[in-house]
Amino acid sequence: MGMSVALDRDARQAAVAKLAEEHALVRNAQAGDRLAFEELVRRYDREVLRLAMNLVHRAEDARDIYQESFLRVYRNLHRFRFECSFYTWLYRIVTNVALDHLRRKTSRREDQAPVPEEAEGSTRDFFDRQPEPSAGANPERRLLGQELGEHISAALDRLSPRERMVFEMKHYQGLKLRAIGDLLGTSEETVKNSLFRATRKLRASLDVMR
Amino acid sequence: MSRKQDLNLKNQLCVPFEPLLTLAAAGEELDVAEQAELAEHLVHCTNCSEALEQETELLSTLAATRVEPDAAMLASCRAGLEDALDRQEERGWLRRVSGAFTPLGWLSARPAWSAALLVMIGFSVGVLGPRFFTRSSAPAPALAANPGASDNSLLQTIASGETPSGLGTLDLHTADVAGINVFPASANEAPQVELQLRAQQPVTLQGTVDDGNVKRVLLDVLRNGERCDPDVRLNAVELLRSRTNDPEVRSVLCHAVHTDHNAAVRLKALEALNGAEPQDIIRQTMLDALVDDQNPGVRIEAINALRDMAAKGQVESDDRLLAVLRDRSEKDPSTYIRLQSAAAIRDLGPRQKF
Repeated sequence: MGMSVALDRDARQAAVAKLAEEHALVRNAQAGDRLAFEELVRRYDREVLRLAMNLVHRAEDARDIYQESFLRVYRNLHRFRFECSFYTWLYRIVTNVALDHLRRKTSRREDQAPVPEEAEGSTRDFFDRQPEPSAGANPERRLLGQELGEHISAALDRLSPRERMVFEMKHYQGLKLRAIGDLLGTSEETVKNSLFRATRKLRASLDVMR
Repeated sequence: MSRKQDLNLKNQLCVPFEPLLTLAAAGEELDVAEQAELAEHLVHCTNCSEALEQETELLSTLAATRVEPDAAMLASCRAGLEDALDRQEERGWLRRVSGAFTPLGWLSARPAWSAALLVMIGFSVGVLGPRFFTRSSAPAPALAANPGASDNSLLQTIASGETPSGLGTLDLHTADVAGINVFPASANEAPQVELQLRAQQPVTLQGTVDDGNVKRVLLDVLRNGERCDPDVRLNAVELLRSRTNDPEVRSVLCHAVHTDHNAAVRLKALEALNGAEPQDIIRQTMLDALVDDQNPGVRIEAINALRDMAAKGQVESDDRLLAVLRDRSEKDPSTYIRLQSAAAIRDLGPRQKF
């Protein structure tokens, strides 16, 4: 018991120290210290890239979202006033960039005629390289895994950009509905509705496979 | 209507419970009452129990197809970002240099801005032209201009340092400031400041912060905060922060910490005061901010500044200080402030200099 309280206190103090260190980094970066900015990037960029990759399913697009997000952060850092955590502010920018990207992608897809799978070339490059976790060396299972991956990808593509974002942030970034609402600039109720719609659409799409 | 009264089956799910199932599968989003209600329902309803299982299964299926960024991709993204930042900085530098010489070049690349500028010029000439022609026959101008300036210029530029009396009838206390431009000077010189004043006839006041008129306008910007945009107020604080040895500047910065509606302005004013020569008024302002400010960022700046001053031996312990620190260490909603306040009390001890 005593030990757990001590651990708790240590964890709290470590968190406080980390926060103070981050404030100092942000201030230095605001003053034009490039190294401080790069340190901030290194703290969060893996999460940003993960979010981007799982939203857009294309390495090139994920790279674009990553770069555009951090460039926007760099250009607007002087506007950051410490009214929320740097993480929240950064995520607001990332979600905006990603939503813009998804919307552009959706409208492009609507404008274009369907493209044959072979002609897409590298569109699924990164995902094709990903090992199927449970498939192992069994070719039949690998094929099934690939098929499942394609179905899921198609099902996710049927979601609207906002539904996609909400679903990702809720289930895989582990954020509360209220926090997602804050990030997307909308109410908890709207986020909840988007989550319901997303779940319903995915359920309907993937039921076909059962 | 309660959920129990409306058990219409749709796609084999009890409609009222469908949202709860989604939230339950998402985890941690149901309150205690909803959890109990759902648990009770699931005992009796096979469809919903199966649906919850399927929902969980769906999520784990989706989770299995997720990808993790590998080290190579992360490294390549970082390298790409570094290049982009280099280009950005280069472009920024080039733009600053070329912008000073070729504003027309900038405009020619931006047809929309050019069009907007033309419309603005046309509008300004249309609105101000008749006034100017009427005024030219009037006995005296409403605003006394710089004697060296042309009488018929629509926007008067007044070099504050050179013609301190040239402002004549323009009341600086009532003139709103539309914008502040700062032009960096060499190492030993104060930066040049350009204040755009909104008056019956727009006026641009130029000089350094040491010029009486410029200083007066900057102080008034902070005294009558709500008349100017927060950006203007932030610039005013930034310009005045190097003059905190002046009692009038100190007093106005303290006023801004107490009264400005914008948290960023209050925060910047506190930062400016942190570097000033220690004075009772500054310590008092920091304590007030620590106690009263609604914004946690401002309170954090206040406790940090107090601790900074304490570390330099610039703050003397007294009952008010200890009482405030004790109160904050117990009641402040921010963990950081509570811990920092407690640490300050520990360092301080009763009636000691710290």
